[in-house]
Amino acid sequence: MKPITALARTANLTLVASTYLFLYVPLIVLLVFSFNSTPFPAPWTSFTWRWYHELFSSGPLWEAFRNSLIIALSSTFISITAGALLIFYATQGGRIGKALVLFYGNLIIPEVVLAVSLLGFFSLASIPLGLATLILAHTLLGLGFVIPLIYARFQELDHRLHEASLVLGATPLQTFFKVTLPLLRPTMITTALLVFIISFDDFVLSYFCAGSSAQTLSLYILSMLRSGISPIVNALTAILLILSSALVLIFFSLRSRTKLF
Amino acid sequence: MAKRECGAVREMKKIFLFRDYPFAIGIPAIIFQMLFFYLPLAILVVGSFIAFGEEGRLQGFTLEKLLFFMRAPYFKVIGYSLLLASGNALLCFLIAYPLAYYLAFRGKRIKNILLFLLIVPFWTNFLLHVYAWFFVLERQGFLNIFLQKLGLIHEPIAFLNSLFSVMVMMVYYYLPFMVLPIYSSLEKFDTRLIEASYDLGASWRQTMKKVLLPLSSRSIKTGFFLVYIPSFGEFAIPELMGGDRQMFVGSVVAHYILGDTTGSLGAAFTLISCCALIISATIWFKLIDYLLKRCVK
Repeated sequence: MKPITALARTANLTLVASTYLFLYVPLIVLLVFSFNSTPFPAPWTSFTWRWYHELFSSGPLWEAFRNSLIIALSSTFISITAGALLIFYATQGGRIGKALVLFYGNLIIPEVVLAVSLLGFFSLASIPLGLATLILAHTLLGLGFVIPLIYARFQELDHRLHEASLVLGATPLQTFFKVTLPLLRPTMITTALLVFIISFDDFVLSYFCAGSSAQTLSLYILSMLRSGISPIVNALTAILLILSSALVLIFFSLRSRTKLF
Repeated sequence: MAKRECGAVREMKKIFLFRDYPFAIGIPAIIFQMLFFYLPLAILVVGSFIAFGEEGRLQGFTLEKLLFFMRAPYFKVIGYSLLLASGNALLCFLIAYPLAYYLAFRGKRIKNILLFLLIVPFWTNFLLHVYAWFFVLERQGFLNIFLQKLGLIHEPIAFLNSLFSVMVMMVYYYLPFMVLPIYSSLEKFDTRLIEASYDLGASWRQTMKKVLLPLSSRSIKTGFFLVYIPSFGEFAIPELMGGDRQMFVGSVVAHYILGDTTGSLGAAFTLISCCALIISATIWFKLIDYLLKRCVK
């Protein structure tokens, strides 16, 4: 790649560097001020852990956190299980190539439209809004990722392994649990992580389908944003950033061939 | 011989499937999808054409709800959303392509760190990023203080609640959607093609225009629509960063849907804006194709 001119090279580097500045300056400012002893508009005064202490003793926040965790875990579990069942069906000679197209819609339509149609459906069927409806909504989002990703990996597998297992006398269930699933495991784990984090961070679906009973983390943060700037949110950001970095590290270290897109 | 065995195994599979496992074993996902995705969408579409009387009684077919939105202010809302989505997708592309190029061809050792740093914010609750930008853009925020210290401005500028702050947040949030597809296609790019182009005497600019861009056109389109479609319906960012100066589709839909008696009007407006989205997306698709083809000539 030599003929690239020095000018273009520097321009490229500058662009990349400024993009990363753009991505990280707000976060760094935010993190620095989570240790400031006076709330924000004031300049830096002195170092304190106070906001972290207040964060950990805030009841509603942890309830919202727990709700988000329940929703994210269940919707991940449901969508992964449904995906695995579909793969089992495919290993038994079922043709699901065409059915796959059904699941692309979940990611293509704007989330607001999905939320609006679900809300209309819930009110028509008089299903009360709450945790259950949120889990349902997030499962839809999850299926949109799970099924195309897992099926793509499934198609890359060497199908002779599966046939060998059947020929050697294993039952289809044994074959599925001892051959197909272990081969798919890395993809399943990364996809599960992806679905988990998408559900955990989701805002739009939660905003429409939560009703008044269930508070999720996003909705809680929204209510804090509306009530003005508070250093507790800075502390929360720091903690969630650490959590998501850990998840991204796990995602990378699995080195599976799951692509984010 | 091998083929025959495959056929036998296939027969065996079918027998196993239909005898031992009920036909429906793979179907929960499809039933779920039909029941909770397509049925609600169908209700949304049908609901926009049906008039409800008192106590929710059916009153038959109507176009009234759709006609209600055939007025200038609503067209303006849709138009602004289209502009917002197009602007966002274009800006993201202009920033993302050089970044993806750097990650794929020049990143080398720091490539993984850069990818990591790109994905971490993307995997963190985005409301926290909105909050972070409040911090930077506020009247007494970081950016104003910084610019005042530099002596570029004397009075603090109100960055928040403007189109500027909406755009900043949109680009910030949607950038990875554009970078990742383009990066993953450039990473697999056969660099011998680039070398061949140089060997045959093309300049860097020509190689860019005639080799790299056209051959990554698929991923450009993927990235473009991953940004364009969700940002058309984007509800949270304009709501939080834009103040009330300009309404976008997302906020209008939310306004009608969450209102007490206007729910089905919201459905109708959703339907209209979806049509606008599909038409505009098709035009963009054709336009990008045309532009990339012209690059080669």
